[in-house]
Amino acid sequence: MKRVLAVVALLVAVFVAAIPIAATTLPGAGTTGAADTAAGAPVATPAATPPTAKVVHQQDAPYYEACAREGLNESECAGRLIWFKATAGNERFHTYVFQQRVGVLIDWFRVLRADQRGDRFRAWGIINDPACCVPGSKNCPAKSLDETYGLDWCPGDEELLGYVGRSGYPDPACDFRDAPLKEGDPHASSDQRQSACDLRFGTSTGALGIRKFPNPRFDKAAWVKLNGKAGSWEGYNRPIAAAGGGSEAARSHLQDGGIEPPFLIGTSCGSCHIAFDPLNPPADPANPKWENIKGLVGNQYTRISEIMVSGMASNTLEWQMFAHARPGASDTSAIPTDQVNNPGTINALINIAKRPTFADEDVIKWRKVASCGDDKDETSCWCEPGRNGKCWKKSLQKETVHHILKGGEDSIGALEAIQRVYFNIGSCSEQCWVNHLTDLRQLDPQQRNFGQTPFDIGQCRRDCPHFRAIEDRLVNILDFFMSAEAHVTDLRVARENVRRAAMPAAAYTEQDLIADLEKEFGAGAVARGSEVFASTCARCHSSQPEALAGQTAGLDFHKLDLRTGLREDWLGNDRATPVSEVGTFRCRALHSNHMAGHVWQEYGSETLRARPPDPNVKEPGDGGRGYYRNVSLLNLWAHAPFLHNNAMGPELCGKPKNAENDFYAKRPRYVDGSNVKLLPADQQPACFEYDPSVEGRFRLYKASMEELLNPAQRIPKVTLLNEDVTLRIGPRLWDGTDKEKLLGFELTIPSEIDGRGVTAGTIGNFQHKQFIVDLVRAKTDAKALEGSLAERFGAETGTRVLQDLQAIAGELVGKPNALVEALKARPYLIKQIYSSCTAEVENEGHRFGEDLPESDKKALIAFLATL
Amino acid sequence: MKPTPTLARAGCVLAAFALAGCGFFESAEDKAAPVISFAPYTENYAGKPDFAYVEHRFPLSTADLYRITPKNLSFLDQEQVDQIYARLTAGPIPDGPFEGDLFFPRGGSGKLRLSEIAGGGLKSLLVNVAGAKLDLIGETLWKGKVFYRDQRLLRNRIEDLDALKKLGLVEDSAANPLQKTRVDGKDQWLLFPAKLYCGQSLLDGRRESIIIDYAFTDELPGYRRMPDIMAGRDGFAIRDEIRMVYPGFYLGRAYLDRAFVVNFVLYNKDIAERAKDEFLKTGKVQQDCWTGTQQRLVVMAPARTG
Repeated sequence: MKRVLAVVALLVAVFVAAIPIAATTLPGAGTTGAADTAAGAPVATPAATPPTAKVVHQQDAPYYEACAREGLNESECAGRLIWFKATAGNERFHTYVFQQRVGVLIDWFRVLRADQRGDRFRAWGIINDPACCVPGSKNCPAKSLDETYGLDWCPGDEELLGYVGRSGYPDPACDFRDAPLKEGDPHASSDQRQSACDLRFGTSTGALGIRKFPNPRFDKAAWVKLNGKAGSWEGYNRPIAAAGGGSEAARSHLQDGGIEPPFLIGTSCGSCHIAFDPLNPPADPANPKWENIKGLVGNQYTRISEIMVSGMASNTLEWQMFAHARPGASDTSAIPTDQVNNPGTINALINIAKRPTFADEDVIKWRKVASCGDDKDETSCWCEPGRNGKCWKKSLQKETVHHILKGGEDSIGALEAIQRVYFNIGSCSEQCWVNHLTDLRQLDPQQRNFGQTPFDIGQCRRDCPHFRAIEDRLVNILDFFMSAEAHVTDLRVARENVRRAAMPAAAYTEQDLIADLEKEFGAGAVARGSEVFASTCARCHSSQPEALAGQTAGLDFHKLDLRTGLREDWLGNDRATPVSEVGTFRCRALHSNHMAGHVWQEYGSETLRARPPDPNVKEPGDGGRGYYRNVSLLNLWAHAPFLHNNAMGPELCGKPKNAENDFYAKRPRYVDGSNVKLLPADQQPACFEYDPSVEGRFRLYKASMEELLNPAQRIPKVTLLNEDVTLRIGPRLWDGTDKEKLLGFELTIPSEIDGRGVTAGTIGNFQHKQFIVDLVRAKTDAKALEGSLAERFGAETGTRVLQDLQAIAGELVGKPNALVEALKARPYLIKQIYSSCTAEVENEGHRFGEDLPESDKKALIAFLATL
Repeated sequence: MKPTPTLARAGCVLAAFALAGCGFFESAEDKAAPVISFAPYTENYAGKPDFAYVEHRFPLSTADLYRITPKNLSFLDQEQVDQIYARLTAGPIPDGPFEGDLFFPRGGSGKLRLSEIAGGGLKSLLVNVAGAKLDLIGETLWKGKVFYRDQRLLRNRIEDLDALKKLGLVEDSAANPLQKTRVDGKDQWLLFPAKLYCGQSLLDGRRESIIIDYAFTDELPGYRRMPDIMAGRDGFAIRDEIRMVYPGFYLGRAYLDRAFVVNFVLYNKDIAERAKDEFLKTGKVQQDCWTGTQQRLVVMAPARTG
């Protein structure tokens, strides 16, 4: 870090800051030191060599050092750099599209302001970029916040800042050095990859995975007029009270598309996946060093959902819909909404080479070919213009594929699964997918965006250069996934590293680990735990063929593959289990974006969609829904809390200094199971403060395991509405003389109905379009509606629903706001009939092992810590 | 600006929703739907083709664009209007005065009023507590406009203040007199200031549109609380977007609180006549907004019809 800063300081001394200059380079530099491969990792592949033909940007130097440290080859290193830095053009999504088209505001300054760099991890779970600094701090090239418009100064900014407010910025991605082409690639007759410029790197914002780009439309004079000075965003993000007052949410200029901020902000995949290395955690999480950081662990602390709604008031529909995921989880179908509230964790990517695959699945997808031959139909075969034999052909074939996502969706291939991550982060949104989303305000089934339509991979390839830039390098990213950086991070090694920090020659052997575990969990606990695991868990959580055949006794779950050095067992069979069998919070299993006709249809296999619905689930579960994968338990010690929503175990909290960003305090989760109302503050179990240290992770693991194995002792967790939220359907009017008047409906979801709490998911799951369509039909076409309701809910319930809808329609005459009271009197309509998921308790289910003797539970906890 | 037929229709303001007799033109092309190609579609939302497909397979030629008139769009249904809009670019941010008018697509009722549409198709249930004001805004707002391109500002030209005054919606005093302009020799009042910028289309994300945004109308020069507040963020939250059909002619979409309510057109005859030959010849025009990355075919020969 010091060396980097010294070089930067020297450069700044030579060149005038904030004036565009040639790319800051380190010719021939970039890799230092021998590979420092973590103990326990397999034989290192050849280390990456530093690029020689192209410019090496200062900001890339630590990345090449990391490649050398991890022992990555050229392809793996290229994939790593892309994973950490490439936004693939999504800076327009995070600056314009999300705000204007989707209608959700991000307050990037609130998240990234340099003067709160030290609080960022605790507030947002953000991993600070070690290469960046707070302007004005010692050795920082920027001397004032005005120079950087309030954000950190980061390498590359000596050039980037000069382009704020003007065009022509030469993106550092243009100097990205590609790895050699793969042999056997049908497109590799010559290097025909899309320009690396379209990867779009920009520079760091100071938060790893969040990148910035100069906004050519920025008007500095207008900015200073609005905010008082260049380094402030105070006028841009200041709340402006609604004239109507009352429950109306405050606004701000964040919604004002007429104001152009200094930067466009983009995100890379790393924004959620970059995390602290369990083997080498930082001494101070707010000030990590590069060697504390890994790209595939998954950030267990990220509050990416809160980041995405950081510009919204908490009493808005949008805030309530987004800001309910736990740290380390996000609802990736919140933007391409399926109206199923279902946050899920960011997967830890470990030993991917050992992850189970599934043969003979029916997959329709585009495959690389060198020619389309006689096929002139570009919907089935397409060649990129201006290229030589760079073609793709679409067909149905049997494939061996992975099952990705929580329910096994994204099942047409590993490369395509990585490809789709880029849509999760906003890439190609304008060209390829916002037009396919549901518009929650569109209530006419005949109009576009009433519901989703399928994303078209072929169209996106043709029309979005960023898609092609990523697609042409997916193999590098997959190589990175398979690299040493994704290898196991065992507790033994982590503890050994801790000891070596104090005493370099220290050792901590397997026997030491077992001895320590048995000291805590009882004599023979590890060995006994292995037996319990085999008999109780391995039928789902082992990938060994014997386990898949039901023969789990005597298996060695630590067995090494001597060829690769990887653990043989992935500790999960990745097979889909009906959600009612697992019994965990089922909303995620009802995720519907991969169904036929829905937005990610083309990323789901036909085999996936042919799965029968879980007969024990009462909500619609067709189209292959209703399942959870049996996940890997590798390095479980480092990845608590558990389950797909991180709900099993203590609640995590950052306790930031800025109370405005203390999101746990705003949303405690423990409820009285009898009425689903929050327990009083003095009965809420204490939250577990962020602690990425080795022993911090281990403590969290133990606490989470205790909850997992003792379901009777779990205090129910429910994410509740923390205030009444109003949905407006139709425009409002406040005319300056009366209190607000409405043209359409005002539909308030109360935070409590009949003495019971209302879950935040109630809003996200509320099928308001169907409700409104039915409400209208109750008045205009009651007979047809009656038949439809009987089919959907049975004759008795259907009749009741119809009668209530007709009654509501009558109650509304002359009093549109009467809908609030009408629904309060009939809460089952919101909570059951018109809900895509009615589950409430988020830490229920997975009761396997609850009947084990206490000693066996302890043994299991001890054994699992060794995996 | 030379006199236009529109300015001769002083009595038509309050009948703006009725199409007959209040149009811009009298040409034959105004009396039937433009003969241009559309991608096949069905009634249900799921049967509407992707705009990228529409543009790729059914590109509009410049000659096609000149088959569209501010008047004949109303012979199309909404999906056809949408498919046209998606095949347009934003073009240059306009400058100077433009005539404007709302239009309803084929299948929509000429008597349909904004207050009904704005209820989200719920007119059978609604009680229209503020409908009169909204309808009046509709009759007023999407008419003549003045673009101040350099200031990224727009104001609406109001020829007749009486209707607004009858509802008590105009604050006027000697200390704060209404701003006036003179177009074609006639006094017109300038109300409802809005911001102009390039931004997201709420229909078609593949390229930007020119946005006319009233959200922060209260911060713009010339703002007067009443009636301007009604268009702003605390009122109907009006946001328009426009794309250029050909120089001097824009097709627009009006939204209330992000919900689409009505189409409109803007026309400046002087610009249209001045730029026609060059645009027909080259198909090119200044683009002030992001034009996207889908290769847009400029078809100089007449396109297929269907």
